[in-house]
Amino acid sequence: MPASERICFILFVIFCLVFPWITKGSFAQAVMIQFLIFCLYGLGWNLIGGYGGQVALGQAKNVGMSAYTVAVLMVWWDIPFWVSTPLGVIVATIESFILGYFLFRLRGHYFAIATIAVSLVWQQLFINWNLIGGARGVELPLRETPNFLYMQFDSPVYYHYFAFLLVLAAILYMNWFRKSKLGYQLRMINSSEDMAESLGISIHWVKVKAYCITGVFAGLGGAFYTVYYNYIDPFSVMHLELSVMIALMTMIGGAGSMWGPIIGAMILIPLDRYLGAWLGGIGIVGVDFMIYSMMVMIISAYEPKGIWGIIEKARGKR
Amino acid sequence: MELLLPATISGLLMGMIFGLVALGLAIIFGVMNIVNFAHGEFLMVGMYTAFLTATILSVDPLLTLPVAAIIGLLLGLASYYLLVRYLLKGPMLAQLLGTFGLMIFLRYLAMSIFGPDYKNLEHGLLIGKTINWGPVVLSYSRLGTAAISLLAFGIIYWLMNYTRLGAALKATALDVEAASYMGINTERMRGFAWALGGATVGIAGALLTNFYYVFPTVGLLFVMIAFTTVALGGFGSIKGAFIAGLIIGLIIDVGATYVGPHHKLALIYLTYFLVVVLRPQGLFGW
Repeated sequence: MPASERICFILFVIFCLVFPWITKGSFAQAVMIQFLIFCLYGLGWNLIGGYGGQVALGQAKNVGMSAYTVAVLMVWWDIPFWVSTPLGVIVATIESFILGYFLFRLRGHYFAIATIAVSLVWQQLFINWNLIGGARGVELPLRETPNFLYMQFDSPVYYHYFAFLLVLAAILYMNWFRKSKLGYQLRMINSSEDMAESLGISIHWVKVKAYCITGVFAGLGGAFYTVYYNYIDPFSVMHLELSVMIALMTMIGGAGSMWGPIIGAMILIPLDRYLGAWLGGIGIVGVDFMIYSMMVMIISAYEPKGIWGIIEKARGKR
Repeated sequence: MELLLPATISGLLMGMIFGLVALGLAIIFGVMNIVNFAHGEFLMVGMYTAFLTATILSVDPLLTLPVAAIIGLLLGLASYYLLVRYLLKGPMLAQLLGTFGLMIFLRYLAMSIFGPDYKNLEHGLLIGKTINWGPVVLSYSRLGTAAISLLAFGIIYWLMNYTRLGAALKATALDVEAASYMGINTERMRGFAWALGGATVGIAGALLTNFYYVFPTVGLLFVMIAFTTVALGGFGSIKGAFIAGLIIGLIIDVGATYVGPHHKLALIYLTYFLVVVLRPQGLFGW
């Protein structure tokens, strides 16, 4: 990491570590945990969307696959979190692999539209699939005492630190990834597919691999989401809107830079929660989405590298 | 058989509207290689324009066609000059997510103004009247709107193939640089493509209000149908959009009589996948 990013990283770590001790409000803590979950989703999406430049609008189905696996295993067979999470991540990854294998035959617009179509099919399927709760969703059984095996705690502080550990691992992984062979190959594909092909990079295979890693990130996020909220439904973990939100968030923060998704989540999640709570109270819906879409339009038109791009530009000029 | 004939006829009639919805997308893609994700929301704006004009002024929905066309045209122009012109300089990701942002903006704008309710028109020259013809029951609204779509297609076809404007537009689509050497103002042609795209989809929206519900998220369904139509017909082909529209209409209506109406959407997506994998350039694409 360059020195400037190291400062960002240290500040971020300190902020996350002390956060539960400086705030007492449970709403603020819930927003913080949601921010961490979206960091995880966004860091994963950034891999294929930002570094790879592939507009895959289907992060929600990876999240949902894993969340549903964890929830169903826990409700039906009482399988602990630590066993069901790897299974959930594997399901999400396999799903990503199969879909990626077929969808990455398509390029550009065709690919983006196809991922939307797949997301809509999955969303519809899960809403109508009564065996796993359909539109009502799945509720996890509440346990009387805090239980580490099932990740049920009496204080949000534990969830906060667990989510923070996941995000920390994701950041460190991304830091390694962007200097790895796969990272360079992916960026090459983003800048020119033809040139990447002429350099002997197997485009299809690299994209599929990156898409699987995206699935792992989303799978971890989905599994954590399930045990944190104790309840999932297709609208919260399987919906196209979630995929859209993740993509817009990363785009605003800066697609293709490590801190982009984190900056995006830092702006959008508190905005969404506080604005939603305030506007929902006076009965206005959809203003939050209008603000994000305005931001994403401005960012895409004037600074496609997002807020991180603006920061880098400002530093370069100094 | 007694199910097949009415489904075929209604599929063909609906297909003409699908074609008209897809036409604007095809023109815009043909001229500047950008997919307008907000296209479905343009349709929604056209539908609300027609709905509001018809209810507030209490005129026949058919008379709202010019209003919806003008609003669509202005929307297309505004999108091009305020947003898309700048998006074209950026990478693919910015182009896709930029128009995607426009789509979300328009959808939630409609949601916050009109609420999520379904609305429909109850009075009009074509609404609620049917012709019974053996096993086939045809509604006036389907027949009338199909006829107007056909007329609109004829006008656009004439415009593109028999006028200097159409020739300039096609030249811009084929090679921007060469077209600008020939003295064509390519920037204006691109704006014109968006205006034309917006106007045609506005008309399609006004026609749909005759027999379809109006609600803020109506765009998503139609834009997925339009993407499939355009992929099948070939991005950029007007003839392709028309013929593919008919085929998609048939697939949806005839398919729905066999697999049930709940799987209509799955049929559309399946068609899309088959087309883009087997014949990515579409039927008439170049």
